[in-house]
Amino acid sequence: MIYVIDHKDSFTHNVVHQFSLFDKVEWDDFSKINKKKLNNASTIVFSPGPGSPKDYPLSSKIYKQLKGKKRIIGICLGFQQILFSEGAQIIEQNKIYHGFQSKVIVNKSSKIFNEGQKFKVGRYHSLKLKEPFTAENFDITMRCAISGAAMSFENNVDKIYGFQFHPESFLTVNGKILIKKILSA
Amino acid sequence: MIKENYLNKVNSSNKPFIIYKTIKGFDLYTDFSKKIILNNRNIKEFLNKKFKNKKKYKNTDLNIGFFGYELLNNLIGVKLPKQKSLNFPKGIFYKPETKKTLPEVLYFKSNKNNKVTKNFKININQNYYTKIFNKFKKKIRSGETYQIKICTKYKNKSKIDPLDFFCRLTKSNLAPEAFMIKDKNFSIISCSPENLITKNGLSISTKPIAGTLRKTKMINKKKALNFFRNNIKETKEHNMIVDMERNDLSRICKPGTVKLKKEKTVEEYKDLYHYVSLISGKLKKDASNIDIIKAMMPGGSVIGCPKISTLNLLNNQEKESRNIYTGSFGFIKFNGDMKFNIIIRSILNYKNISEISVASGVVIDSNAKHEFNENFIKAKALIDLFK
Repeated sequence: MIYVIDHKDSFTHNVVHQFSLFDKVEWDDFSKINKKKLNNASTIVFSPGPGSPKDYPLSSKIYKQLKGKKRIIGICLGFQQILFSEGAQIIEQNKIYHGFQSKVIVNKSSKIFNEGQKFKVGRYHSLKLKEPFTAENFDITMRCAISGAAMSFENNVDKIYGFQFHPESFLTVNGKILIKKILSA
Repeated sequence: MIKENYLNKVNSSNKPFIIYKTIKGFDLYTDFSKKIILNNRNIKEFLNKKFKNKKKYKNTDLNIGFFGYELLNNLIGVKLPKQKSLNFPKGIFYKPETKKTLPEVLYFKSNKNNKVTKNFKININQNYYTKIFNKFKKKIRSGETYQIKICTKYKNKSKIDPLDFFCRLTKSNLAPEAFMIKDKNFSIISCSPENLITKNGLSISTKPIAGTLRKTKMINKKKALNFFRNNIKETKEHNMIVDMERNDLSRICKPGTVKLKKEKTVEEYKDLYHYVSLISGKLKKDASNIDIIKAMMPGGSVIGCPKISTLNLLNNQEKESRNIYTGSFGFIKFNGDMKFNIIIRSILNYKNISEISVASGVVIDSNAKHEFNENFIKAKALIDLFK
């Protein structure tokens, strides 16, 4: 079962819908997490959402508890939430991407995507990862083709994955395949 | 099709009635046997009410009316601070006993007993608007909202014949979701272009509009499409709404059934072009009326995105009740089918005051002066009816 932790976003149910193509999905509001569901889930997904990771200490707590024990996936805010919990700083960007289709490129550190592979993706983020950033076993594996901003990370040891863009958006071409890859990695 | 003078007869009889646009013309509903005034306590009961399964339903087996903005907020757990208000009902539905079909060109001979003051007063001036605008832009920078609609209100003292206004309005702008309600102590006139819910059996669709272009001799439909496609700001605003509406449908539809049927097409109306998408899905078997209303309303395209945090930002800013504005008008049939619009481009007449509300969106690359004027242009089409 996949458990989606909703940060009161208007895209969470697109995520739920997309993951439902692969497994049974449950979801709850981040402030009303069900312990039983959390225990039963094989994969935890941190949803997109408004604001910044520091607004959601409960989600950081869950992440730290479950790191290494379950597969964990973060999308947009969820991506930032995981990195923030790993000590990263999340900052405002000069150019803001809301409802924007752009190209991302896979770099050589990826174990599940091919280097140089390009994807057209939908973006909805005000904030970004401040770099340089390092954390054990974490690699930035996709970047914006224009700005170079971090767009994806992989931690294949602890099975933790994240996308800054929205694989569930209609602006993302073949988003389903991206999800399939990280669920089977 | 019925005789043209029927409309005049109904109007002069002082019976309450409702007119709602259909594909070919209009439907007129009257002889109301029930009037349900909605509030936070009775709305759930109203929406959960089960009707007996019948083999054959009458064309009047339905409730028709509206949900106001506040009621829809409260239904999804969003509370509003105390606002200046006319104490207008939060929602009203009627059970009609008569339904008639009217032609697309409404014939109505007004006896012109409208009493209007021509000068409308706006509730926030440009300086104040700019202040709110800049505040919201900061909220976009910090990621609390991605798109937010600021509402301005125009009001004047007047006593009008709503049918006269509605007939003139449909002549200048025959909008696909136009409607009017005339009751004893209030009336509503709207040329809404936007369908929020069309539900037949397990099929459901929504048709958000984001992007409007005034028609001129120089711009044909193809040029309008190019304009929208090349305008990055309009495109981004529209994309956001499409993903949000896909999300809202996904709450109540079977996984894998939510589809973008028409992606960013142009629809042509008498005076303008709209940038429109159509999204549809197949409802889960256990999705109830209340689940559907809660998932879809208030309609996202007139609020901003993401819905909950944006509603909270808006509500804490707005000093006056939106009343019907950005609520929904439509009907729920006894067999569970429904159709609802988003109430925009509307005039609410209550207690001898006419109120017009308009809104336009703030995204990261919006300009305050442009959006303030955009609001005025939207209101002007309705204000001109008072001349």
